[in-house]
Amino acid sequence: MRRHRKTCPICEMGVRVVDYKDERTLVRFTTERGKILPSRLSGACARHQRQLSVAIKRARQLALLPFIRGYAR
Amino acid sequence: MTNRYEVVYIFDSALEEAQVNEHLERFHALLQTPESPQPIRQVNHWGKRTLAYPIKRRDVGYYVVVQFETLARQLAEFERLIKLDESVLRHLVVVDEGATPAAVRAPSEEDTADEGLAEEAEE
Repeated sequence: MRRHRKTCPICEMGVRVVDYKDERTLVRFTTERGKILPSRLSGACARHQRQLSVAIKRARQLALLPFIRGYAR
Repeated sequence: MTNRYEVVYIFDSALEEAQVNEHLERFHALLQTPESPQPIRQVNHWGKRTLAYPIKRRDVGYYVVVQFETLARQLAEFERLIKLDESVLRHLVVVDEGATPAAVRAPSEEDTADEGLAEEAEE
Protein backbone atom coordinates (compact mmCIF):
# COMPACT_ATOMS: atom_id res chain seq x y z
CA MET A 1 0.00 0.00 0.00
CA ARG A 2 1.38 3.40 -0.96
CA ARG A 3 1.09 6.25 1.43
CA HIS A 4 -0.59 9.38 0.15
CA ARG A 5 1.90 12.11 -0.75
CA LYS A 6 1.77 15.02 1.72
CA THR A 7 0.93 18.40 0.19
CA CYS A 8 3.52 21.14 0.48
CA PRO A 9 2.87 23.32 3.55
CA ILE A 10 4.44 26.37 1.87
CA CYS A 11 2.12 26.05 -1.13
CA GLU A 12 -0.78 25.73 1.27
CA MET A 13 0.21 29.02 2.89
CA GLY A 14 -0.01 30.66 -0.52
CA VAL A 15 3.61 31.78 -0.47
CA ARG A 16 5.50 31.98 -3.78
CA VAL A 17 8.94 32.99 -2.54
CA VAL A 18 10.06 32.00 0.95
CA ASP A 19 11.33 34.92 3.04
CA TYR A 20 14.60 34.33 4.93
CA LYS A 21 13.57 36.98 7.50
CA ASP A 22 10.51 34.99 8.57
CA GLU A 23 12.17 32.86 11.23
CA ARG A 24 8.85 31.89 12.82
CA THR A 25 7.94 29.91 9.71
CA LEU A 26 11.48 28.66 9.11
CA VAL A 27 11.89 27.08 12.57
CA ARG A 28 9.08 24.69 11.66
CA PHE A 29 11.37 23.25 8.99
CA THR A 30 14.27 22.55 11.32
CA THR A 31 14.86 19.68 13.74
CA GLU A 32 15.07 20.24 17.48
CA ARG A 33 18.84 20.55 17.05
CA GLY A 34 18.45 23.15 14.29
CA LYS A 35 19.17 20.97 11.25
CA ILE A 36 17.17 21.48 8.07
CA LEU A 37 14.31 19.00 7.89
CA PRO A 38 14.43 16.76 4.77
CA SER A 39 11.55 17.17 2.33
CA ARG A 40 10.65 13.55 3.09
CA LEU A 41 9.60 14.77 6.55
CA SER A 42 8.62 18.37 5.82
CA GLY A 43 6.48 17.42 2.84
CA ALA A 44 7.66 20.50 0.93
CA CYS A 45 7.64 20.41 -2.87
CA ALA A 46 11.03 20.49 -4.61
CA ARG A 47 10.89 24.19 -5.44
CA HIS A 48 9.96 25.24 -1.93
CA GLN A 49 12.42 22.85 -0.31
CA ARG A 50 15.22 24.52 -2.30
CA GLN A 51 13.99 27.95 -1.24
CA LEU A 52 13.70 26.80 2.37
CA SER A 53 17.25 25.50 2.55
CA VAL A 54 18.67 28.78 1.21
CA ALA A 55 16.38 30.83 3.47
CA ILE A 56 17.38 28.87 6.59
CA LYS A 57 21.07 29.29 5.77
CA ARG A 58 20.62 33.04 5.34
CA ALA A 59 18.64 33.27 8.58
CA ARG A 60 21.50 31.49 10.36
CA GLN A 61 24.01 34.05 9.12
CA LEU A 62 21.81 36.80 10.52
CA ALA A 63 21.49 35.05 13.90
CA LEU A 64 17.73 34.72 13.42
CA LEU A 65 18.13 30.95 13.66
CA PRO A 66 20.85 29.07 15.52
CA PHE A 67 23.31 26.84 13.68
CA ILE A 68 22.97 24.33 16.53
CA ARG A 69 20.06 24.57 18.94
CA GLY A 70 20.60 23.75 22.61
CA TYR A 71 24.37 24.15 22.44
CA ALA A 72 25.94 26.04 25.34
CA ARG A 73 29.62 26.59 25.83
CA MET B 1 20.50 48.82 -15.57
CA THR B 2 19.66 49.03 -11.93
CA ASN B 3 18.75 46.02 -9.85
CA ARG B 4 16.76 45.62 -6.69
CA TYR B 5 18.58 44.47 -3.59
CA GLU B 6 17.91 44.06 0.06
CA VAL B 7 20.37 44.51 2.91
CA VAL B 8 20.03 43.53 6.55
CA TYR B 9 22.35 45.21 9.04
CA ILE B 10 22.97 44.09 12.61
CA PHE B 11 24.29 47.07 14.54
CA ASP B 12 25.82 47.10 17.99
CA SER B 13 22.89 47.50 20.39
CA ALA B 14 24.82 50.13 22.36
CA LEU B 15 24.10 52.61 19.54
CA GLU B 16 21.19 55.05 19.78
CA GLU B 17 18.72 55.21 16.92
CA ALA B 18 20.08 58.60 15.83
CA GLN B 19 23.59 57.17 15.60
CA VAL B 20 22.31 54.22 13.57
CA ASN B 21 20.64 56.61 11.15
CA GLU B 22 23.91 58.50 10.77
CA HIS B 23 25.69 55.31 9.80
CA LEU B 24 22.92 54.36 7.38
CA GLU B 25 23.12 57.73 5.66
CA ARG B 26 26.84 57.30 5.17
CA PHE B 27 26.41 53.85 3.61
CA HIS B 28 23.47 54.84 1.46
CA ALA B 29 25.21 57.88 0.00
CA LEU B 30 27.31 55.42 -2.00
CA LEU B 31 24.31 53.86 -3.68
CA GLN B 32 23.27 57.01 -5.49
CA THR B 33 24.06 57.06 -9.22
CA PRO B 34 22.67 59.01 -12.21
CA GLU B 35 20.65 55.88 -13.07
CA SER B 36 19.20 55.61 -9.56
CA PRO B 37 18.74 59.12 -8.11
CA GLN B 38 16.51 57.72 -5.34
CA PRO B 39 18.15 54.40 -4.45
CA ILE B 40 16.36 53.72 -1.15
CA ARG B 41 12.95 52.12 -1.53
CA GLN B 42 12.16 51.17 2.04
CA VAL B 43 13.86 51.30 5.45
CA ASN B 44 12.55 49.12 8.22
CA HIS B 45 13.93 49.34 11.75
CA TRP B 46 13.29 46.09 13.60
CA GLY B 47 15.01 47.49 16.65
CA LYS B 48 16.77 45.43 19.31
CA ARG B 49 16.52 41.67 19.05
CA THR B 50 18.18 38.82 20.87
CA LEU B 51 20.69 37.04 18.64
CA ALA B 52 20.30 33.29 18.17
CA TYR B 53 23.98 32.96 19.07
CA PRO B 54 26.53 35.52 20.29
CA ILE B 55 28.34 37.60 17.66
CA LYS B 56 31.51 39.36 18.84
CA ARG B 57 30.44 38.48 22.39
CA ARG B 58 27.18 40.44 22.05
CA ASP B 59 23.84 38.81 22.75
CA VAL B 60 21.64 41.62 21.42
CA GLY B 61 21.72 43.38 18.05
CA TYR B 62 19.91 46.30 16.45
CA TYR B 63 18.39 45.11 13.16
CA VAL B 64 17.68 47.30 10.14
CA VAL B 65 16.27 46.01 6.84
CA VAL B 66 16.62 48.20 3.73
CA GLN B 67 15.31 47.64 0.21
CA PHE B 68 17.20 49.59 -2.42
CA GLU B 69 17.85 49.87 -6.14
CA THR B 70 21.25 50.52 -7.67
CA LEU B 71 23.86 49.45 -10.19
CA ALA B 72 25.63 46.18 -9.50
CA ARG B 73 29.06 47.82 -9.65
CA GLN B 74 28.22 50.06 -6.68
CA LEU B 75 27.87 47.06 -4.38
CA ALA B 76 31.56 46.25 -3.95
CA GLU B 77 32.40 49.68 -2.54
CA PHE B 78 29.17 49.68 -0.50
CA GLU B 79 30.01 46.38 1.17
CA ARG B 80 33.60 47.41 1.72
CA LEU B 81 32.46 50.45 3.68
CA ILE B 82 30.10 48.34 5.81
CA LYS B 83 32.84 45.84 6.59
CA LEU B 84 35.16 48.64 7.72
CA ASP B 85 32.58 49.92 10.18
CA GLU B 86 33.11 48.43 13.63
CA SER B 87 29.58 49.22 14.81
CA VAL B 88 28.05 46.80 12.29
CA LEU B 89 28.23 43.34 13.83
CA ARG B 90 27.07 41.66 10.63
CA HIS B 91 25.32 42.41 7.36
CA LEU B 92 23.79 40.51 4.44
CA VAL B 93 23.12 41.83 0.93
CA VAL B 94 20.82 39.77 -1.30
CA VAL B 95 18.93 40.25 -4.55
CA ASP B 96 15.35 41.29 -3.72
CA GLU B 97 13.18 38.48 -5.07
CA GLY B 98 9.92 39.91 -3.82
CA ALA B 99 9.43 37.35 -1.06
CA THR B 100 6.12 37.31 0.77
CA PRO B 101 7.03 39.28 3.92
CA ALA B 102 6.42 37.66 7.28
CA ALA B 103 4.45 40.53 8.80
CA VAL B 104 2.05 40.86 5.87
CA ARG B 105 1.41 37.17 5.63
CA ALA B 106 -0.77 36.43 8.63
CA PRO B 107 -3.68 38.84 8.01
CA SER B 108 -3.81 38.54 4.20
CA GLU B 109 -3.49 34.77 4.08
CA GLU B 110 -6.80 34.28 2.32
CA ASP B 111 -6.15 36.87 -0.41
CA THR B 112 -2.92 35.30 -1.55
CA ALA B 113 -3.99 31.69 -1.03
CA ASP B 114 -5.74 31.28 -4.41
CA GLU B 115 -2.86 32.54 -6.55
CA GLY B 116 -0.28 30.33 -4.92
CA LEU B 117 -2.41 27.23 -4.95
CA ALA B 118 -3.61 27.51 -8.54
CA GLU B 119 -0.39 26.01 -9.87
CA GLU B 120 -0.19 23.02 -7.57
CA ALA B 121 -3.94 22.43 -7.43
CA GLU B 122 -4.09 19.16 -9.39
CA GLU B 123 -4.25 16.06 -7.22
